[in-house]
Amino acid sequence: MVFSISSSNHGLFVSDAVFVSNAKTQDEVFAEVADKLVATNYVKDDFLAHVKEREANYPTGIDLTPISTELPNVAIPHTEGEYVNERLVVPVKLANPLKFHNMIVPDEELEVKFLFMILNNDPEGQANILAQIMDFLGQTSVDDLNKLFQMDDPSAIYQFLMENFKQA
Amino acid sequence: MPKQIKMIAACGAGVNSSHQIKDAVEAEMKKRGHNVSVDAYMVKDVNEELLNKYDGYLTIAKTDLSFTPKVPVIDAGAILYRIPAMATPVYDTVEKIVKGLE
Repeated sequence: MVFSISSSNHGLFVSDAVFVSNAKTQDEVFAEVADKLVATNYVKDDFLAHVKEREANYPTGIDLTPISTELPNVAIPHTEGEYVNERLVVPVKLANPLKFHNMIVPDEELEVKFLFMILNNDPEGQANILAQIMDFLGQTSVDDLNKLFQMDDPSAIYQFLMENFKQA
Repeated sequence: MPKQIKMIAACGAGVNSSHQIKDAVEAEMKKRGHNVSVDAYMVKDVNEELLNKYDGYLTIAKTDLSFTPKVPVIDAGAILYRIPAMATPVYDTVEKIVKGLE
């Protein structure tokens, strides 16, 4: 008998799509993560090319100073639903902070320490993923968020998010 | 029910930010007693002809357009933070435009 895993069987996080990256450039981290996501079939083969193109044209860095000046910045790289197979948030801790341009002020460069990569093949269907990420960042205490951003073990990151990220 | 006002929200992929702006603006305008419907688009698909069918354009970033829109362009990126103090001025701008059209 063949069992298939449907996306409704998991929440926004899965333990084999949480990463800690030593990449030194945006291209490196995208290639590293995309490779792993293709291997687990969470994204399609052409995901990498499209996520890079999108980031270059419509950057996704988010300045977290409006939430707290004590938080590092994050980015939410993503691409259109046709290049992904799941509805997931893929957390990526960046051991080396990387430059991303600000989503709202694209001319501005931000130093980013953590990615919430969004795989979304169903934008209409359920509660907005980006809104849930922003609520998590706005409603979790700064101390707890900084604990998360300092973790360098994917399983600890996964555990933290399962316990603290309220999923709609 | 008040007259329906139609707006566009656009972002790079047309998947995340534009949908968040759509949901937020529709909900807040409903709360304020207006009937606003927002369609989410990819920025690359927004052109003059499309915009002419709408009453306003909600943008996430200051995007260079190859044309000057005839409809009001509203800088709505601040809504994404889901912090009321940042979102309220954007909603007020949207409401002013909506009231002018109702």
